[in-house]
Amino acid sequence: MKQNNMLAMILAGGRGSRLHELTNKVAKPAVSYGGKYRIIDFPLSNCANSGIDVVGVLTQYESILLNSYVAAGGRWGLDARDSGVFVLPPREKADSDLDVYRGTADAISQNIDFIDKYDPEHVLILSGDHIYKMDYSKMLAYHNSCKADATIAVIEVPMREASRFGIMNTDEEGRIVEFEEKPAQPKSNLASMGIYIFNWKLLRKMLLADMKDSDSNHDFGKDIIPSLLNDDKRLYAYKYKGYWKDVGTIDSLWEANMDLLDSDNALDLGDSQWKIYTEDTTTLPHIIGPDAVIKNAYITQGCMIDGEVRNSVLFTGAKVGAGAKIIDSVLMPDAVVEEGAVVTRALVADRIRIGKDAIVGSADSENIELVAKRVKGAE
Amino acid sequence: MSSALGIVSFSGSHIYVEGLQDYRSIGAFSFLGRYRAIDFPISNMTNSGIDRIQVYINQMPRSLVEHLGTGRHYNINSKRGRLHLLFPLFNGSNPIYETDIAAYMNNLPCIENAHDEYVVIAPNYMIFKQDFDELLQKHIDSGADITLLYHTVDNAREAYLNCDMLTLNRQKGVLSIDKNRGNAKNRNIFMDTYVMKRELFIELIQKAAKLSSMYTLPQIINATCEDLDIRGVAHRGFFAAITDLKSYYDSNLSMIDAKTRESLFDEDWPIYTRTNDSCPSHYFDTASINTSIVSNGCLIKGAVENSIVGRGCTIENGAVVKNCVVLHGSHIGENVHIENQIIDTFAKVIHGQEIIGAPEHPGYIRKDDLL
Repeated sequence: MKQNNMLAMILAGGRGSRLHELTNKVAKPAVSYGGKYRIIDFPLSNCANSGIDVVGVLTQYESILLNSYVAAGGRWGLDARDSGVFVLPPREKADSDLDVYRGTADAISQNIDFIDKYDPEHVLILSGDHIYKMDYSKMLAYHNSCKADATIAVIEVPMREASRFGIMNTDEEGRIVEFEEKPAQPKSNLASMGIYIFNWKLLRKMLLADMKDSDSNHDFGKDIIPSLLNDDKRLYAYKYKGYWKDVGTIDSLWEANMDLLDSDNALDLGDSQWKIYTEDTTTLPHIIGPDAVIKNAYITQGCMIDGEVRNSVLFTGAKVGAGAKIIDSVLMPDAVVEEGAVVTRALVADRIRIGKDAIVGSADSENIELVAKRVKGAE
Repeated sequence: MSSALGIVSFSGSHIYVEGLQDYRSIGAFSFLGRYRAIDFPISNMTNSGIDRIQVYINQMPRSLVEHLGTGRHYNINSKRGRLHLLFPLFNGSNPIYETDIAAYMNNLPCIENAHDEYVVIAPNYMIFKQDFDELLQKHIDSGADITLLYHTVDNAREAYLNCDMLTLNRQKGVLSIDKNRGNAKNRNIFMDTYVMKRELFIELIQKAAKLSSMYTLPQIINATCEDLDIRGVAHRGFFAAITDLKSYYDSNLSMIDAKTRESLFDEDWPIYTRTNDSCPSHYFDTASINTSIVSNGCLIKGAVENSIVGRGCTIENGAVVKNCVVLHGSHIGENVHIENQIIDTFAKVIHGQEIIGAPEHPGYIRKDDLL
């Protein structure tokens, strides 16, 4: 905290229902990605690498795994004195009943006491669902140099897609003059990344007012940002360049994994100066059998490959039997593809077994097939 | 929690692994790309409930100390347990004085002040899986003064040279401990692993120190074979002693065979190591790989066969790596053909050439070298 007087709050309560069975039992931030990671490793590692050492994680939906996962702050180096990752699910208080978080802003409002304990100058609000690398200390420096009341990270999106995002319209100095949520006729292509730096005193005041407003959705995009603009506060857009992905659907989660097969991909997980940290498992390095064929693949520890893997990503402990073929697919942790089975354009969920000689997915399917149940093979 | 103090000892000055040991002690040698040799004795101890562990470090401490750190990754209770690194201060320039006994005498107060009734001693240069709790129980049940762990081998003529071996009577009583000089093929190789009461251990090291500055623990125990009840317990499963380049090479490559690998690794007996947070390995379209074990963080564009590849290695287009142990951070350049070699960390082999050794005498490429 002392380093930069900024505390981070990660919104990690969402289900991500378009990920279907993948989020039946875990919240979206805990979904596996990139062979050995979980999505929330990205904001947490970014915090650790940016010198932010107090991080609150706001959890709500199916939070058992997520709570225990993030509570081990040592994984990201966030375990020094006066440092830590704090799990903040909704709670009962002396002056209010147990209630769910009603919106992104409400999740912060209900934890004003937690933030006050650290008395930060700035609060960084992050989403637990996005895959990207960002140095938040640079964003804070920008925020300070603009003498801003709030700074919002934005990314340029193709104009034709701009109507899917919250769009920031700025003046030539980068000050935000207008915010439009999913505009039909976008005036700019600067999309909000859901990353905000606020001066805590101001945000605190806004949140207290928002809590009492019965018409509010208690949402940063819908309520807090518009009312700051209304009050003529200084809001600045911080332009981010680089890899950023919100993996909302099975197709986009698959695609984000496939991105890693491009050796020039902007995410560059191999960068030793900005590592993404994750849970340390005790698995062996990956083991490649005598008849294996591996072309264009991203493979991590604990995998055992006796078959053929092409253009695919294999997560911790995935197994590919002899004669099996994995093509354009993602095998999540501990997925097993038995001998002779063929998996094409599919995403096989954690611990799912695909039986001998079974055929899953097809090369000309429009969407990626999610395999979340055991597939029986030949007896 | 066990009632034993764990002690990890080092290899004596009679063992020297060409090349590799110039940079680090054998305990810090990479094993199977991801591990270090010392991960095995320490994980064996913590998995057996031994939470207080002393590690004796005799030479080239940097890489071992870096790897061990606080010992947190070994699953040691951070309050009740401790991984204690001890650095004996050897005086004199002659390595004959650098004995295990001298190291223990040097740190005697640390051994005296422990509260554990027993000690379990295991070496940092041997790779095996052993439940020490079970061994301790066997020791207690037998009523013996000292229990020694051994492994019966049938290739002692050409392997395990310079290791100690036990001569046993029919009741597994130890008659003597001598060096294996390679004059018979069937031997009981002593695994440098001891169980005894801590008090007896202290008595023995004090006695040895008085008798001769060159005495080692096996020597003093050998000298007391007639007075004490010393018994051998046979070890089963995978066993390797890293005593030379060949044994290092063979023990690594032997892990490619599933049956051999399963006799060392067991899901219920995890081997802990320090994580490096490397990303997964990336295989390119041009890659061709089989019969190998690869760690994370590698970029593989060339051909790899029957090899162990450590963390963060690059195998370039057109390169052929066969029967090699490639240690972390190495770089094999385009069209390089390399066979039967141990490639030490961060070496770069980039100029198109053939480096082919004989499988019986694997070659060694120096750390940080540029070829």
